[in-house]
Amino acid sequence: MKQCTITTILIVVLLVAIVKFSFANDNKYAETMQKNITTVYTAQTIEELQAVTNTFERIASAEKTKWEPYYYASFGYVMMATREKDGAKKDAYLDLAFTAVNKAKEIAPNESEVIALEGFNYMIRLTVDPGSRGPQYSGLSMASFGKAMALNPENPRALVFMAQMQYGTAQFFGSSTEEACATLAKSLEKFSTFKSDNPLAPAWGKAVAEGMKEQCK
Amino acid sequence: MKTLFTVVLSGIISLGIAQTKISGKIMDAQGESIPGANISLEQTYDGASSDVEGKFQFTTTETGNKILVVTFVGHKGFKQNVELNGKPIFIEVKLEEEISQLEAVEITAGSFTASDASRRTVFKAIDIATTAGATADIAGALNTLPGTQKNGESGRLFVRGGDGNETRTFIDGNVVLDAYNPSAPNTPSRGRFLPFMFKGTSFSTGGYSAEYGQALSSALVLNSKDDGGGSRTDIGLLSVGGDVAHTQSWDRGSASAKVQYTNLQPYMGLISQRVDWKSAPVSIEASGALRQHVGKDGMFKVYGNFNNSNFALYEHSISDYNQKFLYDLKNNYRYLNSIYQSSLSEKWSMRSGLSYTYLQNDALVDQTNIVETQQGIHAKTVFDGSITDKFEIKSGAEIIQRNYSQDFNLNDGTSHSLAFSELIAASFVEADLYTSNNFVMRGGARMEYNNLINQFSVDPRASLAYKMGKKGQFSFAYGKFRQTAKNELVRVNHQLNPEKAEHFILSYQLVNNKRTFRAETYYKKYSSLVKYVQGDANVLDNSGDGFAKGFELFWRDNGTINNIDYWISYSYLDTKRNYLNYPYEAIPTFASKHNLSVVAKYFIQPIRSQLGVTYSITSGRPYNDPNSDKFNGGKTPTYSDLSFNWSYLPKPYLIIYFSCTNVLGRNNIFGYNYSTTPDTNGIYASRAITQAAPRFIFLGIFITLSKDKSMNQLPNL
Repeated sequence: MKQCTITTILIVVLLVAIVKFSFANDNKYAETMQKNITTVYTAQTIEELQAVTNTFERIASAEKTKWEPYYYASFGYVMMATREKDGAKKDAYLDLAFTAVNKAKEIAPNESEVIALEGFNYMIRLTVDPGSRGPQYSGLSMASFGKAMALNPENPRALVFMAQMQYGTAQFFGSSTEEACATLAKSLEKFSTFKSDNPLAPAWGKAVAEGMKEQCK
Repeated sequence: MKTLFTVVLSGIISLGIAQTKISGKIMDAQGESIPGANISLEQTYDGASSDVEGKFQFTTTETGNKILVVTFVGHKGFKQNVELNGKPIFIEVKLEEEISQLEAVEITAGSFTASDASRRTVFKAIDIATTAGATADIAGALNTLPGTQKNGESGRLFVRGGDGNETRTFIDGNVVLDAYNPSAPNTPSRGRFLPFMFKGTSFSTGGYSAEYGQALSSALVLNSKDDGGGSRTDIGLLSVGGDVAHTQSWDRGSASAKVQYTNLQPYMGLISQRVDWKSAPVSIEASGALRQHVGKDGMFKVYGNFNNSNFALYEHSISDYNQKFLYDLKNNYRYLNSIYQSSLSEKWSMRSGLSYTYLQNDALVDQTNIVETQQGIHAKTVFDGSITDKFEIKSGAEIIQRNYSQDFNLNDGTSHSLAFSELIAASFVEADLYTSNNFVMRGGARMEYNNLINQFSVDPRASLAYKMGKKGQFSFAYGKFRQTAKNELVRVNHQLNPEKAEHFILSYQLVNNKRTFRAETYYKKYSSLVKYVQGDANVLDNSGDGFAKGFELFWRDNGTINNIDYWISYSYLDTKRNYLNYPYEAIPTFASKHNLSVVAKYFIQPIRSQLGVTYSITSGRPYNDPNSDKFNGGKTPTYSDLSFNWSYLPKPYLIIYFSCTNVLGRNNIFGYNYSTTPDTNGIYASRAITQAAPRFIFLGIFITLSKDKSMNQLPNL
């Protein structure tokens, strides 16, 4: 009888351990991601960004079916590019960002956030050499933002960057910024209501929209 | 039983507790520490980034055999098996440098590439369209680069003492027979292909790859775009005509079609010309392109161009102006090019192309009708292999078949004809070997068989490049080149050997952020040039020869003055040849000793305009004066030209473009024509070869209609 109890306990313990272990695996993904997402949002220097981006790359190599690690790796590289001064190095980071966002795209081709990030990639690439890249990359980035908005009209990031591109174009041609500001207003509205079932969904970009509010007054 | 319980339980617990500490240092091949490298255990989250000293440390709860992976940008990945059993692991890793496109040394001797893809290019695709004086003509823009000798009356590319026909144009690797539109006498001809079609241009002034044959001096390699750039309709209203184009894009491809009509009649009525036109040039052109992505990374492209143009003018006798005869030309041109490219495996890729050219010049000269017809087919397949990241190989085979005929139909009903048909079969192989990111060697050979002379030939090519530090690099290039003599010579004697050239080029390039400096020196030896035997144009052999040597300087800067981008190029040329009717070695009439070009572009944001200025100055060129004893003894005055252009974007979908060549209205003289017979005093009468009009003024309005109103024709650049 005693032996039976022990066996039962053993089985229960083992079962619990196994169940807990497999849950832990999923939890571990969510927890690790959560922690590093916070880090990538707050990282200031290229070194800090490199470290957290490396982490996302590591997670990505272990989690082959998840788009989020590649998404944040790409985001990290873009942030590194924005902090780098040397044009050639900026491009090198953007190449890595592009590779990562493409991998995310392979996993989730219809994820609005991924397409919006792709557009953001082009937008930053444009800023490296606006004179010669302007025409080509403004078209590419606006096409991506348009596609991201079509996939999810609620995506505030696609909206705010579209608003920025529209604003830049309007300013360049000295025409009305009405359209750009309407897009911005919509983006601000979506930022306040944006909810995703995915706890790891991107949540950045609101500051960009808030900052742009001044220009639209 | 209790013991078993404890053992199992403690096993479970220890599963959670057993930790292995992994630490170490990451360095490059020279032992310098690498910060920011990514260290990880494969298939797990565990790992770390190296710090400023290259050191790292992390602990893992994983056990057993795992693979430790180290990655860092620009370096080869490192992998090692580790056994995780709680004992600390210390590991020192030296990462080997990866040969990357970004960092690796590049063979630049004799070559200028323009592309948006590569950030290191000295010349950008958009430069071709925005260079003043070029009016969006590819050759016009490239004529501001070192290595070219400006021949204002021709418009073609004359490279390093070479004649205009020694530069060959290739589209997606396939040869183009006659890449220029016909032009009136002494008026620069424009290229048949607009720069907007191409994503990349590579202009080589010597020592080029074994892939390109049948070019003695220069290869102009144009790579067409892969994407249509969105559905839209483009309308162009030009001072000399108009065009309409439509592009339809879909998910993985696009198709576009364009019709263009050009008529110089109204323009020439407005601005007086030194040409006695019967009817000014009129042309109609239709072109179309289809681009489709196939499979994972395959690409299929077809491009076609059909052009009909004609003009008629009266040529006046030099000795007696009242004596004139009619010259009436109808030109018919068709070009079709298709290419398929795809990867075959991780290491190998292939491209296969086919081009077809048909051109006919139907001319009425005085009373005689001369019809010149040429047809050519070029089929080519190339395999590219990256065997390792340090060893690349390129190999291919091609066939160029050409049929040429010239028919004389005299007004007395008699006619005679000269024709030939040439088949060239060639294969080539070329290998690149990198010893590091700082040194590369390229060696190759091109084998050709020519059916007209029933001869096999092998031409070696070699080059190397060495990079010193981050910014400067030396390159050297050598090669033997051959090209079938001009049609008008081969039609007289089918047994003529190809003309040959041997190039030696040494180049130094320094790129510092937004500034580029390049210096290049070369020696070119010509042999087997076609020569008239004892001055008889109907008896030809290959006894001619010649040489060209010189040096060139190039400076480009778009970082010093805000919004101003400029470049300066200077070429010094010393060349002589003994060919055709030359009695002895002499400087050819197309060669000028000094060529200087200054190109500047200035962007003015408040008026949304780009202004461009190009100033070119070329020292005098020789001409032959039959009244003098010395052959090619005359020398024209210095040529100079100041051109201006203005591109204005008033609305996102609208571009207004204005350009004017030779703003100062200088009367440039390119040489002199002499009457064929001396007058009663024994003197040959002369007439200067000049521009048809001092200036060429062009105004164009380009409108783009699309769903997305911000689209304009600029992205086509």
